[in-house]
Amino acid sequence: MPPIIRMVNLTKKFGEFTAVDHLNLEVEEGEILGLLGPNGAGKTTTLLMLTTVIKPTEGTAFVGPYDVGQEPDKARTLIGMAFQEPKLLWVDSPWDILNWHAKVCGLSAEERKKKVRWVLEQVELWNDRLKSVHAFSGGMRKRVEIAKILIQRPKIAIVDEPTAQIDIVGKHRIWNMLRELRDEGSTILLATNELYEADVLSDRVAIMHKGKLLVCDEPKKLKDSIPGGDVVEIALEKDITTAALAKLKEIPRVVNVLTIKQNQLKIYLNQAEEVLPKITEFFMKERLQVKSIRMSEPSLDDVFAHYTGLTIEEAQRE
Amino acid sequence: MAIKPVLHIVQRDFKYFFRYKWWVAGMISMNLADLFIMAIVYTRMVNPDIITDYFVFFAPGLTITALFAAAFMIGREINMEVRREISHYMLSLPIKRWELAIGRVLAGGLRGIIYMAPLLVTTLIITYIYTSVFPHPLQFLTIVLALFLISIGTSGLSIALAVSTTSFEKYITARGVVYYVLFFCSTVFYPMNLIQTALPQLVLLAQYNPLSCGADLSRAFLLGNPPFSPFMLVDIALFALIFASLATFAYMKVTQK
Repeated sequence: MPPIIRMVNLTKKFGEFTAVDHLNLEVEEGEILGLLGPNGAGKTTTLLMLTTVIKPTEGTAFVGPYDVGQEPDKARTLIGMAFQEPKLLWVDSPWDILNWHAKVCGLSAEERKKKVRWVLEQVELWNDRLKSVHAFSGGMRKRVEIAKILIQRPKIAIVDEPTAQIDIVGKHRIWNMLRELRDEGSTILLATNELYEADVLSDRVAIMHKGKLLVCDEPKKLKDSIPGGDVVEIALEKDITTAALAKLKEIPRVVNVLTIKQNQLKIYLNQAEEVLPKITEFFMKERLQVKSIRMSEPSLDDVFAHYTGLTIEEAQRE
Repeated sequence: MAIKPVLHIVQRDFKYFFRYKWWVAGMISMNLADLFIMAIVYTRMVNPDIITDYFVFFAPGLTITALFAAAFMIGREINMEVRREISHYMLSLPIKRWELAIGRVLAGGLRGIIYMAPLLVTTLIITYIYTSVFPHPLQFLTIVLALFLISIGTSGLSIALAVSTTSFEKYITARGVVYYVLFFCSTVFYPMNLIQTALPQLVLLAQYNPLSCGADLSRAFLLGNPPFSPFMLVDIALFALIFASLATFAYMKVTQK
């Protein structure tokens, strides 16, 4: 099946500043692709080019069969976007915003009546449906923005930091709604700078930094791709010998062993779930009794750091 | 062009206008108060040899003033939308760009007409009291058509300014200049013979000014003076066509960087 979104050397310059730099990326139909990167990485600019709100300086993107530069009107018929900053006028009420949005997206009066209510209940704004959004908190406004996508149910849903300013319970609700949307057949392009969000929600993650795509793959594969990304901390009943330590280092996929104390080791390895049985077997053979064992997987932050030398926080500060 | 998307846009902008219903009611009351202040004060101040009854002369002009102010409001809203990037939302909708632009121009024009309606009724009553004649239905329809076209042109002018100015301050300044030039160099507040005498340099501008044509066209059918000329309607139609097209073009090009 051809990709539903294809970016070909997509570039956007604002004067001398290159916001998006020759981006080549494909989004498969029916997946959630997380676009991860610090603020200023070029995520929002990329999304705005896909929605035809801004024009690429160079290169292009295909949304379905439509070139965003040549057939922007047709490209927009496939897309719905929930913006990073809610795009609302303060005099609006959630009911009016969603009802009008649904009308523009072609829903009949009868469908609107049902769906607007359903969506407002889903985002817990039914009781506030007639209040002006002026009085709403940032999180409530964000929920109105997300509700637009949920009512539109576009073929391609583009969501820019969908859970920013939303509490943890609300985040889980929105994640579930986005998963439901994906399961119903929508493709979701999610821009986020929240590592956990990208990790739990995305089928694949594309990491961007300074307008460039660094890497794109499934979260697990990305984590596994870091040499020595998994860390196993082992405490032994007695001290390990130098010879045993050398043997331990020879086990395939063990990248490094750090001796914190002679009976306390930090082992850096790849694909810990496969190697760990071999390590415990090794200690049994060496008659070294294991007192405790703790395993930690790399995060997407480690992946980001691996490719940029910076954590996301540091990149954001930069 | 599909009519539905245009109507959706018109409906949205129209609804926003009436969200400020108390403000609108207040403004209409102020316009009416202006008219009656004219009746009491200016009529006694203005030399009757120049303008026989300033109150009656000014009433059709006031409808133009109100129409212009109301139709111009759409520009302020669009300028705010561009600054707050609400325009990004509008541009991301599954609507063709020119349908969006035309919808906004049309909405601005309709807002002007609706706002001006009570003032037009008041003007009809006042001129009836003065002349004892109601305009012929065709004349009345011509007045409404002319006012609608002025409203469309004004809406277009304000949108073109709104999307071409980068800050609110610049927009307000540009709006002030446009107001000043268009009203000062027009027959909205004073007749052409006065301009010919006092400021002959402005005669040409005043003649072609669509606000002059609108005010004089109304006076022609309501008061019988100056005489109606088809040029008035052509001038107004050109104003509407030029600025509606300019606004559509500017909105399409400038809002999409």
